[in-house]
Amino acid sequence: MRDYWLSRLFFELQNPAAAADFRANRETFLQKYPLEESVRAAIRDNDVPFLAARTNPYLLRYYFFTTGMKDAEFIRRLRDG
Amino acid sequence: MAELAGAFAASHGPLLIREWEAIPRDQKDRLSKAFLELGRRIEQAKVDVIVAVAPDHWSNFSLDHVPSVCIGVGAANEGPPEPWMKGFPHREIPGHPGLALHLAESALREGFEPSLSHRLKLDHGICIPLWRMELKRLPSVIPVIVNSIEPPLPSLERCLAWGRLFRKAIESYGENLRVAVLGTGGLSHSIGEKTMGAIYENFDHETIALFSSSEKKLVEFLEAELPAHGNGSEEVRNWLVAHGAAGGRGFELVDYLPVPTVIVGCGFASWRVNG
Repeated sequence: MRDYWLSRLFFELQNPAAAADFRANRETFLQKYPLEESVRAAIRDNDVPFLAARTNPYLLRYYFFTTGMKDAEFIRRLRDG
Repeated sequence: MAELAGAFAASHGPLLIREWEAIPRDQKDRLSKAFLELGRRIEQAKVDVIVAVAPDHWSNFSLDHVPSVCIGVGAANEGPPEPWMKGFPHREIPGHPGLALHLAESALREGFEPSLSHRLKLDHGICIPLWRMELKRLPSVIPVIVNSIEPPLPSLERCLAWGRLFRKAIESYGENLRVAVLGTGGLSHSIGEKTMGAIYENFDHETIALFSSSEKKLVEFLEAELPAHGNGSEEVRNWLVAHGAAGGRGFELVDYLPVPTVIVGCGFASWRVNG
């Protein structure tokens, strides 16, 4: 299953300027995307498995790399939630 | 007439750049040597144009448009967009519109329907191998994007057929050009899924062995085993394009080593394309 707007958010965050914007003011940035509330909450909570079920795995990895999560932590969350 | 001057394959992966210094010395040396060996062979073959077959890692296409196969027919393409690839020495890479359009037209005549792009961003998938090969003179590059990222993916058989088609098209192009096919990606790795970080050495060794035996067995093995051996392993499609271009024979392993630091089973290969 693909959540289009979540995937589009992750896609657009590959742009360094957008990523800086996102880091500076996450909530305002997220307003630009018509995300479901559960998805918005998963982004806030870094809920990796929830997001993994809704987007492409490469986009997911780029997103968490962009947010500064170390690969080891990302892998742990992929496995254990 | 143009001719196929070589067929090659090499792995790629962001951590080959981002974590280069953290790779154990002996592995780093082997990786460098393997990339340089491919570079040496490309130079020795006096290659004018590289048909670089690779996935698009969300650098060009989003969910708005996911082509199965896209041929870059532009006069030039852009260097890698990833911030950590900024050391790559080329911001613009010449294409070869004449040959690229001939590949596209040949494909359409033969019942293949590629997507076309007149300007692509060549991401780390193409640029890491080109960079690490340290070519003294960069040939023109015709990018061919094969989707191995966002399912459904083109069939393995079709990737072989693309390779055969490319060879036929290259050999029917009027200009005197020496052309190489370079497939990039693989071998086993797993990205953004529960098994991320896994390298399946046995799977890789079996895949490598089958490249030297039967094409049919290779495809049967990959069809059965790919789903359980990491999503990154799907990039072996690009090796199949090179294999198809080489006529399904003449495979030579340059090196293979699993590199946990870069979470990729790193493979390097070359095909004998004549005789």
